[in-house]
Amino acid sequence: MKTYLAQRLGIAALTLFGMSLVIFVLLRLAPGDIVDILFSTGGYVNPSERVAIEKELGLDKPLWVQYVEWMRHMATGDLGKSYRYDLPAWEIIRPLLPVTIELATLSMIVAVLLGVPTGVISAVRQDSTLDYVLRVVSLAGLSMPSFWLGMVIILALVAWIGWIPPMTYVPASENLKLHMIQFALPALAVGYRSSALIMRITRSALLEVMREDYIRTARAKGQGERTVIWNHALKNAILPVVTVIGIEFAFLIGGLVVTETVFNLPGIARFLVQAILWRDYPIVQTLVMFIAMVVIISNLAVDMLYGVLDPRVRYGS
Amino acid sequence: MVVVAAPALRSDRGWPETLLLFCGKKPLGAAGGFIMLVIVFTAIFANVLQTHDPIATNAAATLAPPSAAHWLGTDHLGRDIYSRILHGARVSLLVGLGSTLVASLLGGIIGLLSGYVGGKTDLVVQRVMDILQGLPLLVLALVMAAALGPSIPNVILAISIPIMPRAARVIRSSVLSIREFQYIEAARALGLTHLRIAFRHILPNTIGPFIVLGTAQLGSAILTEAALSFLGLGVPEPYPSWGRMLSVSAAEYAQKAPWLVLFPGIAISLAVFGSNLLGDALRDTLDPRLRGA
Amino acid sequence: MTFFRVAAALWAAVGALALVASTPAAAQTPQPGGHLNVMLREELPQGFAVHETATVSTSFPSMPCFNNLVIFDQLKRTESLDTLVGELAEKWSWQDNYKNLVFFLRKDVKWHDGKPFTSKDVKFTFDMIREAPDTPAKLRINPRKDWYANVEAIETPDAYTVVFHLKRPQPSLLLMFASGYTPIYAAHVPPASYRTGCIGTGPFKLKEWRKGEFVDYVKNPDFFVKGRPYLDSLRYVIIENRGTRISALQAGKLDVSFPGETTKTIAEQLKKAVPQMVITTVGQSVSDNIIMNVKKPPFDNLKVRLAVSYAIDRRGLIQAVHQGGAVPGAALPPKPWGIWGISEQGLLALPGYGKPADEKAKARKVMAELGYTPEKPLKVEIGTRAIAVYVDMASFVINELKQVGIDATLKQVETAQWHPMATRGDYQIGANLTGLGIDDPDANFYENYACGSPRNYSQYCNEQVGKMIDQQSQELNPQKRLEMVFALQKKVEEEAPRPILDWRLDYFAHWPYVHNMVPQNNIYNFGRMQDVWRDK
Repeated sequence: MKTYLAQRLGIAALTLFGMSLVIFVLLRLAPGDIVDILFSTGGYVNPSERVAIEKELGLDKPLWVQYVEWMRHMATGDLGKSYRYDLPAWEIIRPLLPVTIELATLSMIVAVLLGVPTGVISAVRQDSTLDYVLRVVSLAGLSMPSFWLGMVIILALVAWIGWIPPMTYVPASENLKLHMIQFALPALAVGYRSSALIMRITRSALLEVMREDYIRTARAKGQGERTVIWNHALKNAILPVVTVIGIEFAFLIGGLVVTETVFNLPGIARFLVQAILWRDYPIVQTLVMFIAMVVIISNLAVDMLYGVLDPRVRYGS
Repeated sequence: MVVVAAPALRSDRGWPETLLLFCGKKPLGAAGGFIMLVIVFTAIFANVLQTHDPIATNAAATLAPPSAAHWLGTDHLGRDIYSRILHGARVSLLVGLGSTLVASLLGGIIGLLSGYVGGKTDLVVQRVMDILQGLPLLVLALVMAAALGPSIPNVILAISIPIMPRAARVIRSSVLSIREFQYIEAARALGLTHLRIAFRHILPNTIGPFIVLGTAQLGSAILTEAALSFLGLGVPEPYPSWGRMLSVSAAEYAQKAPWLVLFPGIAISLAVFGSNLLGDALRDTLDPRLRGA
Repeated sequence: MTFFRVAAALWAAVGALALVASTPAAAQTPQPGGHLNVMLREELPQGFAVHETATVSTSFPSMPCFNNLVIFDQLKRTESLDTLVGELAEKWSWQDNYKNLVFFLRKDVKWHDGKPFTSKDVKFTFDMIREAPDTPAKLRINPRKDWYANVEAIETPDAYTVVFHLKRPQPSLLLMFASGYTPIYAAHVPPASYRTGCIGTGPFKLKEWRKGEFVDYVKNPDFFVKGRPYLDSLRYVIIENRGTRISALQAGKLDVSFPGETTKTIAEQLKKAVPQMVITTVGQSVSDNIIMNVKKPPFDNLKVRLAVSYAIDRRGLIQAVHQGGAVPGAALPPKPWGIWGISEQGLLALPGYGKPADEKAKARKVMAELGYTPEKPLKVEIGTRAIAVYVDMASFVINELKQVGIDATLKQVETAQWHPMATRGDYQIGANLTGLGIDDPDANFYENYACGSPRNYSQYCNEQVGKMIDQQSQELNPQKRLEMVFALQKKVEEEAPRPILDWRLDYFAHWPYVHNMVPQNNIYNFGRMQDVWRDK
């Protein structure tokens, strides 16, 4: 087990390294840089001023030098200074993290609370009308652009109740009730989407398990249907569901980009879009590496959990 | 996760009969297929079906609600929304299908070769795929779109690169499982070249997963394009893309003219819904043991 | 008799009541205290570094922090020499036939960190901006260096006197000091520090700038105008989504709008939802215009440029793109939104302002002579920034040009590319937007039409026009100068390097419990917030 973990961590490090290269190159491929944007806020361009700013920000050095310096700084915990804000990247990102983490967690909770029960019901009542309806509803959730769903929810609220959710961030410390209401809507919008996937996996996993022999044995032994499902089927079906939840959590971050924009929440996803538009390399690089780490860690955690939950799976040789 | 390619559909049935059977056994799938057909038809015949020029502005009729003159209303520049949605089908399908095809082809080839050759090459390719998959789809597409700049080919590329690893992974699994079959060994014994084996024997058996993957990713691609356009990094003007019809411009006027927001969103949802339904049904048919994947 | 007495008494009572009821509550006395939420359209691009940017997104939220030497009276809607009042300067006077400008500064001003304000700060600021040879500080980006090209030297005979020595007379210079673009920086802090914070002398002190969310100000207790500001605190709230911020204003979560934000449509929507919302119509001093690269074909040909100008129906564009919330005008804003602009009557003589059908026929004729028709059109690429409002404008223009034999394809350019592209002349024709720092011919013509000016995107260079610009700049007789400026505007419209399409209006909105929040005919020069107060 330990060797396996070490192996996986090694691969994770390699992957992160590769990702840093990809993001570094991609960013610098993009036409225009921070200097262009600074000039555009001034409404003009001046070549000698440009040279001076490039020098100040270290953009005049050859690319590989810039990359090595970035890596060096990261190794010492220095995440760089935002080109736009003239402040350390960590200082700017830190207040944004809790918002995104909270939204992601709440969305995941909604997704699981919605997805698992409906998946179970759908599997148990396979091919009934209820099954079809649930499958269609959940598929609809997968089909709608989450940002559109957000916009429609706001429109509907305004039209039917004449009430607009708070449109500027309300920290929990300021007003807990309003804060929860503010997060409820985007969590619902994102959670609905994720719940669809979880519902489908739960359903198919349960269906697969229910066909197994030991289920028939349990039934033959005379155990009640409910016991059969709860004690035997669900416990064994939980594995792929957990896998999907883990993977989906990381995937959520993509959906958060548009949702944070629509609902005006100051999280890292919304900030990432801004930083990309501003070619604020230090911020984009830091955020992307952070997201990559989250994805890799959650994948690893899920695999480890798999190993713990399923006695048949043993890692390492 | 083991992918088993099901044997091809029974050869003693003709296509029309197979189709009817499919519709009967999988009504949802058939509905999805029908929706996709309608959308494709709309895309092809947009020019004929339109009531107005989709890029013609009309100062006199801005933000007009749905009426006999403008079936789905007009936007803030007086452009007919119905006609724009028709043409938007073209763009969204082009980008969606385009990126899915590119991703599937690229990924398929990579997966095929990587799985067949195995060994060190396989390992390296796997790591590269991991790197690309290490980021959420939208995030990578976002950076790529910004890096490449706004144009339709660039958007297609920006969306297909993040999807590609998934295609590669599926095909590779398929290849890995087939590689050990007896008849492959027999073919090797007979002296067939690797390439011939790869393309002649393995590839046809991966068609099933390929189709399933394609329809699944199509929905993803369409949604990603919508998100990119919404954020301003997707398909540029003047092409009417469904996603961009929902962008900032529309959000401005949403309260006054909700039809600006409702119809393009419904169009996107329908397209993705249809492709998902179809994809699900196809998967159920072609890979009955694949329900859990 | 009693009847008449009673009647008279009754009438007197009624009269008295009527008098009391009709007396406007405007004889209200400002009440100190309270907080205001003000709208911000986007995140501050570079914090409070006003001298390193040229956007209202920096100037407006920075106003409470700073002071100028002089400013346009914040309680009046118009901006002119007549409405100029002193801020850091108590008195000022022109000397030596408008060649020397002397300011006598207030002696009781302190910076927000407690240090005293002196003439040193003024010299520091303007030497820095004009990049004087011995300036101790440098701006990283310097958009308005050319505003002070005519300043020869800045002298500080004592701690509270500043003298600007000019190379030649320039009456407009005084107005440039009044712009929201001309605050005074502190000499004892690095200019770069304004990108992250703000040390000013203004009525409010910066409390917190939470990136992407808001800017918080608190009352400056040591402000040099006693009894001001009235308000205790301000919060500028950043809401990027337009629909959201209008909803917030409508719901009362925001008290004051943002300059240039409230279009006609939005104002109507607001008024319908909140009938008591106060809407004031002002000019923005922002124009929509078409830039054409005169150094490259096909727009090096005056005829083609004129065809473009003929083809575009200004009033149609105003209706289509602004729903009527703009006015036609030439290079300077027309009355009553500006002082120097050519009015509707005068515009009729300029290309493109006649009857749309006639003008388009003219354009078609010109293009036909050059061998192009709507069936066989001249193909060009029209560039614009990838922002909704620019794109809308460009879409309309494309449609117009199509009808006269010019087939323009839209090329959306990302913000970062736009200015480099335009300055380099890397384009044929573009749909552009220009904001004037002040309604003044000098600020406008030097920036946009003078040979070699970085903002002269059309690469236009005409010696005669250059001379006309210099002449009017030195003209001391206001009436004569006005005539010169009219002639200049006519000339540049006839040369058509940059046909003006319209001047935008702003339907500035605020809730009725906000008082003394007076918008001006220019989005850059109001918002000091010093005299604003609110009902409890």
